[in-house]
Parts: sequence; structure tokens; C-alpha cells
Amino acid sequence: MTHTTAAEHHHTTPVWEGIKTVKFAIWLFLASEIMFFAGLIVAYISIRYSDPNWLLASELLSVPLVALNTFILIFSSVTMVLAFDSAEQGDLQKSRYLLLATAILGIVFLSIQGFEWSDLMHEGIQASTNLFGSTFYTLTGFHGAHVAIGVIWVLSVTAKAFRGGYAEDHLGIELAGLYWHFVDLVWIILFTIIYLI
Amino acid sequence: MSTATPTAATHKDYRYAPVSFWRRYVFSTDHKIIGVQFLFSSLLFFIVGGLIALLMRTQLAWPWQEIPVLGQYIYGSTGNILSPEGYPALVTMHGTIMIFFFIIPVLSGAFGNFLIPLMVGAQDMAFPRLNMLSYWFMVPAFLVMIFGFFVEGGTAAAGWTSYVPLSALPDMVPGSGMGQTMWIISLLLVGTASTMGAINYITTIVMLRAKGMHMFRLPMTIWALFITAILVLLATPVLTSALLLLLFDRTIGTTFFLPEGGGNPLMWQHLFWFYSHPAVYIMILPAMGMASDIISCFARKPLFGYKPMVFSIMAIAGLGFIVWGHHMFQSGMNPVLGITFMTSTMMIALPSAIKTFNWLGTLWQGQIHLTAPMLNALAFVSTFVIGGLSGVFAAATPVDIFLHDTYWIVGHIHYVLFGGSLFGVFGAIQYWFPKMFGRMMNETWGKVHFILTFVSFNLVFFPMFILGAYGMPRRIADPYNYTFLSNLQGTNQFMTISAYVLALSQVILFVNFFVSLYRGRKAADNPWQANTLEWTTTSPPPLENFHALPVVYRGPYEYSSPEVEEDWLPQNRELVPAPAD
Amino acid sequence: MAKEHGKRPYIRVFVGLAVLTAIEVAVAGLALDDALRIFILLGLAAVKAALVALFYMHLRYDHRLLAVIGGFPFLLVVIMLIILMADRVIKS
Repeated sequence: MTHTTAAEHHHTTPVWEGIKTVKFAIWLFLASEIMFFAGLIVAYISIRYSDPNWLLASELLSVPLVALNTFILIFSSVTMVLAFDSAEQGDLQKSRYLLLATAILGIVFLSIQGFEWSDLMHEGIQASTNLFGSTFYTLTGFHGAHVAIGVIWVLSVTAKAFRGGYAEDHLGIELAGLYWHFVDLVWIILFTIIYLI
Repeated sequence: MSTATPTAATHKDYRYAPVSFWRRYVFSTDHKIIGVQFLFSSLLFFIVGGLIALLMRTQLAWPWQEIPVLGQYIYGSTGNILSPEGYPALVTMHGTIMIFFFIIPVLSGAFGNFLIPLMVGAQDMAFPRLNMLSYWFMVPAFLVMIFGFFVEGGTAAAGWTSYVPLSALPDMVPGSGMGQTMWIISLLLVGTASTMGAINYITTIVMLRAKGMHMFRLPMTIWALFITAILVLLATPVLTSALLLLLFDRTIGTTFFLPEGGGNPLMWQHLFWFYSHPAVYIMILPAMGMASDIISCFARKPLFGYKPMVFSIMAIAGLGFIVWGHHMFQSGMNPVLGITFMTSTMMIALPSAIKTFNWLGTLWQGQIHLTAPMLNALAFVSTFVIGGLSGVFAAATPVDIFLHDTYWIVGHIHYVLFGGSLFGVFGAIQYWFPKMFGRMMNETWGKVHFILTFVSFNLVFFPMFILGAYGMPRRIADPYNYTFLSNLQGTNQFMTISAYVLALSQVILFVNFFVSLYRGRKAADNPWQANTLEWTTTSPPPLENFHALPVVYRGPYEYSSPEVEEDWLPQNRELVPAPAD
Repeated sequence: MAKEHGKRPYIRVFVGLAVLTAIEVAVAGLALDDALRIFILLGLAAVKAALVALFYMHLRYDHRLLAVIGGFPFLLVVIMLIILMADRVIKS
């Protein structure tokens, strides 16, 4: 890294003990996101626990379909991490297509979830029908919103990559990746507590 | 544009860079301007919240009386008299505004923004634009909250805690209609703004410290703001999720908190207090930090027990996450859990006592200068002790069952928040005013303000403990309906008159503030002869704070050091030979 | 900026995650005791989440402070859950 004056240095990305400020801040943001989902999940668990006649998701929804969707999201995580890895290795062309694949997989995930929602609504379960509906739509909805934001983020990164960005500095890919993996991680937990248990 | 080279000439070039008024003072990314923006807007809300408090006090002293002259403007639609449903709205708005729009923004927003980069020796926050965005999320929050007063049914009336079902059913009472929805939206915006601020503060404090500024050389103010930011970061999102669930209950017909749909009303209380108990420390820790700096400076002594002070802040914050249930002893709780919460709550008294002990240790045998900031900081310590001790009472489940929702609790929170935080804020305003605006505030009027405030504060709030012990409940418009409370009217009238005096005393502060802004004596760079880094730059500091980035050689409290002739030794002054670390 | 960090086991982690997901679906269908099934499922989910955080989010290779930032909230979540569940257990 070339020597910069303090003022210029300040407006780029300062580094402390090898951590870039933006990456540090993204982790702080993710910590607050964990607490956000914690509020929702704890509410869900507590509500569900106090209802002995809880409607099981597996009786209403197709678990294999959701398992496929989970697989798709996990797959998108591996394309994302490989996109970052390729960029680190200098293979920008590969990185671009992997980013694009990630965004497409995210869109597929959202589409399957949209299909699932409409299916459930056809079965007559709305958010206001019962607590199963309330919690199901809220949890998957907030997660879906995060995926949607992630797709937009990854698409913007993809666009920049195709225009020749990230030749030197792959921080942008890494940050989008961190958010993307976090959303995947939340889904891993939601999949278990909503569909499997 | 270089600040790495310590030449003052290059520096002036950008200090007076021709930017428009809007860019410099409104959509500014400069942490100092944003801090001042937070200061002015929160002081504005201090006035609003205070006036609402006076309306409440008036009602409690002389219930259902027509208010002379002003009544037609305030209660015009209800025959110049407060309406029965208007009183809960006043209570709600007083609490909400004072907590979310005054104390939190003035501590974290105003002083956090202004002081963090200056005291750690940075040129600005880590993310100046995020910082600006944080303020501009507060502005719509302000507007939505104000707008809530004018919607049909009036503003929210479910208390600042907005317990369900009162807050979850839109047609419950007039205030739980649109006004409650506005309240929720406003708090969601405030929460987003504080989270952004917290991310910025933590990153700045961890990563942008000047060379030599180890974590354990940070001033106590910065430590307090740092821990506060962590609390904000981890607690606020839980409130956000709870508010969203509440919003869904109100709008799309979910039943998270509504028993008739199988929901759990206690869940709201759990989630709310999981945020709001840490929030209590969000409201007091920065004041503790600032009071520590002020006390050390005006006792001309090193802060007694620096590291215990830091660890106490951490302990208070850590325990703060596992005590929220003590707000719910009356709500129905597993007794085993009650005892757990009682014990953890009482444990908070320990670090608090360590802090108090260390403040006294700092004062002991110091050369105490009773300036206006110092007087306020001392008032902070003494009233915080009363507030804190009353908290220990309320923490005991059997006592709390009796005291819950009485004026005793109101007295407790006001001793901590007004007596604690607010005296801290008064002290901090007068202490850092020279650095903010380059002029001194008037010392004499500062003392007059202090004495009047301190006396009338105690006259207003101490009787609350007595009323509470008598069993007078909070949040009721007319206690004298109950025969056992009817003999309390005299006490209430006394408190109300004291409250008028308290409010009038604040006029002195505001006049002093605004007159000093234009007419005050020009401030020197280091008028208090303090050690921390903000005093090593000009008053007010230039655009990027320091003419040359400071290098730090020692901790912030080297007062009366034998190594130098003066009784202060700034953190960035290099002694030759350089002292061992 | 690019640092050589050897071959990182991204593909192996992916295979692990996929296999664990398959096991999860299988376990969910077994006629086990409720408590045991929930325990196994939560355990598997925790392993998967840890794999994502450690490898895909690079916590294994990054500064430990980042792991602290990411991990600390989970401690709070556990406290929150324990207290709320303790409250529910007695009342229901």
C-alpha cells in the first residue's frame, strides 16, 4: 500500500490490526441483525411452546421443496465464496460469473418461497388466520426481505465486476459475501425451527 | 490538503473551504456540526417534554381546572380543560420525548458525536456520511412524533412502555388509533438512527485512535460512550423486532401479543424490557463518563481507580442485559425467575458503588474548584446515589410488589434520569461549550442556574418517594377520587409549585446558553487546563479537528503530576526524556 | 492485496452442509422421542451455522475480534431463550 497523507488515508479504508474499518462495521451491523432475528425467533419459540395444538409446518407445506430451497441457498453461498476466492486469486472472469450465479440462485430461492406463500394462502392460511400464519409469514418474510436486499446488493456488485471493477481491491465482494452468508446462516436456523421441528 | 505535516498555513486552506451554508451547517458530514445539530434538536425536545410535564403537574395539583389564558390554546377542543383521555397521552409523550428524543440523543448523539473523534484524536468519525444519515433518520422521527399529536384521536396514550393490549388494539382508546401507529413508526426510525450511530462510534473508537492512544488511555467519557454504543447495537434491534410485531398486530391482524388469538401479552413486556433495561444504562453511562472527566479536572487529581471504573462500566452494561425481568415482578412471573432477576439486579449496585467510591476518592484531598460544570457533576454523583439506592429497594421482589407503578418508581427514575443524567448533561454542556462554540458560558449565571435547579429538583422529586410509599399510583389523572389519597393534594401542590420553579430555572440556562453563543467571553484553547486531546486543538476545532494528528504519551488524568510545574499534563505532550509507558 | 492462503476447503464445506441438510430432513421424519429429535436437529443446525460462519464468513482465518463481535450476540440470545422458556415452563 502506498503511503498516503492522513487526510487522504482517512477517506479511503483505514486498517487497524489488519481489519478494514468497513469490514469491522459490517460485522457490527451483522451483530445487530442477529439480535433483530433473535427477537423474532425468541417470540416464535415462546409462542409456539405455549400452544400444545401447534400446526406443524410439515403437515401444510412440502418439506422436500423447502429442503431443495435450502440446498439452493447453501449452493448460492458456495458460489459467493468462490467468487470472492477467484477474485483473490486474480481470476476476475470466473468471479464475475460466480457472482451472477449467486444472484440468480437468490432469485430462484425467492421464487420458490413466493410459490410456497401463495400455496399456503390458497390453503386459507393468512397472517391473521392463526399464530402459525402470523409467525410463519413474519419470520420467512423478514428473511425473504433480507434475501431480496442481498440479491440487489450482489447484482450491483456483479454489475461493477462486469464493468471491470474489483481488479485491485476485492473488499466490495467480500462485504456483499459476508451479508449473503449471514442471510444463509439465518435460513439454516429458520429451516430447522420452522419446518423440521 | 495534508494534515500529516504540521504546518498551520496549509491547514487554513480547507478550514475556510468555500462550501455553501447548506453543506456546512445542514447536510454536514462533520461530526462537530452533527453533534451540535443533535444538541439543538434534543434541547428543543427537552423544552417540549418539560412543558408537557408542567401540564401533568398542574393537573395533579389542581385537577380538572380550567387553565387561565393558555387553556384555550392547549385544551381548546375540550373546553379549555384537560380531558380524561388527554392525561395518559401527556404521560406517554413526556416519557417518550424525554427518553427517546432528549436524553438518548443529547448523550449519544450530541456529546458522542462531538467528543469521540476529538477525544480519541481522529479527524472525523469512521463513516462521516453514515453519521449524517443517522441524524437525518432522527429528523423524520421527530416529525412523525410531532405529527402524531394532530391525528384523529390524538397522540399515543399507552405509556412510554406501550404495554399491550392497550397499544395493540387500534380501537381501544382514542390514543391507540393512528397516534399509536405514529409512535411505533417514530421509534423504528429512532432505533435505526441509533444503530447507525452505534456502529460508527464503535468503529471510530476501536480503529481511529491516535498513535499511542491505547484503550486504557481513553478518557472515561469515551469508555462510557463505547460501552453505551455496544448496548445500543445489541439491544435496539430487539426493540425493532418487537415494534414490528406490534405494528403487524395493529395493521395486518396478527395476534402475537393478543391473548384472544393465542398470543402472549407478556412477550411484549419481555422484548420491550430486553431493550429498555439496557436503554436505562444507555441513558446514564455517558453521563457517568462525562462526570468522571469533569470531576477529575476540577479536583486537579487523577481519576481514582481508572481501571476499576472501566470494568465497572462493563459490569453494569453486562448485567444490564440479564435484569430486565425486574420490571415485570407484578406482571406474573415464575418465582424462581423472580429471585434470579432480583439477585442480578442487586448485583448492579456493586459496580455502581465502585464508581461512586472512586468519584469520592477522586475528590478526596483534591484542590476542588467549584465551577458551574463541577457543581453539576457533584450534583450528578449525589443524586445518582439516591436514585441508585432507591433502585436497590425496588429490586427486591416483595418491596417491588408494593411499590410497583407507584410514584416511588417515578421518583426513582427521575432521581436517576433527571438527577443523574441531566445534571451530567448540564455539567457537560457548560464544560464543553467553549470547545463547541469558542466562547465561555457565564459562570455566575451557571451557578445561579445550578443552585435553583438543584434545590427545586429535590423539592419536586423527593416527595414522590413519600407519595409512592402512601400508595399513590402513577399515570392516573385524579388521585383524589380515592379517599385514601385525598390528603395528598397539598403535597402535590407543593411539588407542582416547585416544578414551576424548576422549569423557570431552566430559562436561565437557555438564556445563558444563547447569550454566551454570541456575547460570551472568547475561550482559550484549554480554558479548564484539562489534559484530554480535545483541549489541545483550537476552540472551536478546525474542520478536521487537529492541525497535526496528535501522538499520545500518557493517560488522560495526569493532574498535579510531579513531572511538570503546571498542575496539568496533556496527553499529547512529550516529556524529555520520554517517560516509560 | 491478494494474500495467498492456500486451498481453502470451500467445496468440502459445501458437501458437508448438503449432507447435513439431508440428514436433518431424514431425522425430522424419524419417529424419535420429541426432546431427542429437537436436540439432534438443533445440534445439526448449530454445526451448519458454525461451518458457514467459520469458513464462508472467514472467521477461522480473520482477526479474532470479528469472531467475538459475531459470537457475543448468540450468548445474549441463549440467555434470553433460557429465561423465557423457564418462565413458560412453570406456567403452562
